[in-house]
Amino acid sequence: MEGRTTPIIRDDIATARENSWERLSSPGTWWSATDRLAIADETRHAIKCELCRNRKEALSPYTIDGVHDSLGALPENIVEVIHRVRTDSGRLRQAWVDGALATGLSDAEYIEIVGVVATIVALDTFDRALGLPPRALPPAKPGEPSRHRPRGARKTIAWVATLAQENISEEDPNPYPGFEPVNIHLAMSLVPEEVAGFFELDQALYLPQAAIRDLDNEYRALTHSQIELIASRMALHNQCFY
Amino acid sequence: MLRASGEKDGEEFDLNSVVGSGDGDAGVVHGKLLLAFADAVFGGDDAELNRVRAELLDAIGEAALVDAAGTAASFNSVVRAADASGIPIDEFKADAAREILDDLGMDDFSPGPAR
Repeated sequence: MEGRTTPIIRDDIATARENSWERLSSPGTWWSATDRLAIADETRHAIKCELCRNRKEALSPYTIDGVHDSLGALPENIVEVIHRVRTDSGRLRQAWVDGALATGLSDAEYIEIVGVVATIVALDTFDRALGLPPRALPPAKPGEPSRHRPRGARKTIAWVATLAQENISEEDPNPYPGFEPVNIHLAMSLVPEEVAGFFELDQALYLPQAAIRDLDNEYRALTHSQIELIASRMALHNQCFY
Repeated sequence: MLRASGEKDGEEFDLNSVVGSGDGDAGVVHGKLLLAFADAVFGGDDAELNRVRAELLDAIGEAALVDAAGTAASFNSVVRAADASGIPIDEFKADAAREILDDLGMDDFSPGPAR
């Protein structure tokens, strides 16, 4: 890198990273900016949690009780969601999600937490992979959550309601700007802005949707095969076979 | 997608290397280093990550290193949205995925500590 300690980062990634930090520190759909940053902070803290470590090592995480090591800024039911999604998402089950929702958390609030966790994990993993220090969380921006639930959201293919493209109303933010949704895009569609925001970042980090299966052309300095090799190994580590 | 991209390139993938029972390059150029990089990014040893990153940088260059970091970040995060929502795999890729899982016994895989 010719004497530089920081690699040159593609413009699309640089822009998506800044937009992601802006989103994390802004009011969301169901959580305030302060809440979203607290969720991000707790996500970073989760990898130090002894209960999560014990559950991860157990044959089944559902056999280990205890109290999470948390930062204390969020209620225990929310900490449980953040820690499990961060540290052992490959072994989540519908009964666990139903249990989380039975504590008073709405399905949309749950999905926005998932979106914040996924976003901060993407940002931090990218920085760590390149040897960059984790960025300090920015100050929270003022404002209220929009509290908009898409009327067309239905519980059909997932454990929570999703918003099929044909059920998007005029008043809904477009969850799928610039791409045709497949199931992974539907996953967080109960909160459309989480889908649009997360996948702006994800497509910059990985590949735009149209490029994934366009094997006749290469879009990155790595080939499709090299990209998919890393992708497969990371999915395997996370025990995700989606 | 790994299998599909290999078929396009005429490469013969050793998928066992992906699941860790092989120690080769999986049939991909610089595959061994790329797998080591993914392991180090997921793992908790910063010194090991620094060592592998430097080796990978020498081998593939700065732009490709950024792509590798991006891919690792993507697949350390997007999996959480899939798993936390219970979204099923798309029909158009379900058969291929099942075939690979069966071939490799990936359902038996036990992950290491979360990072």
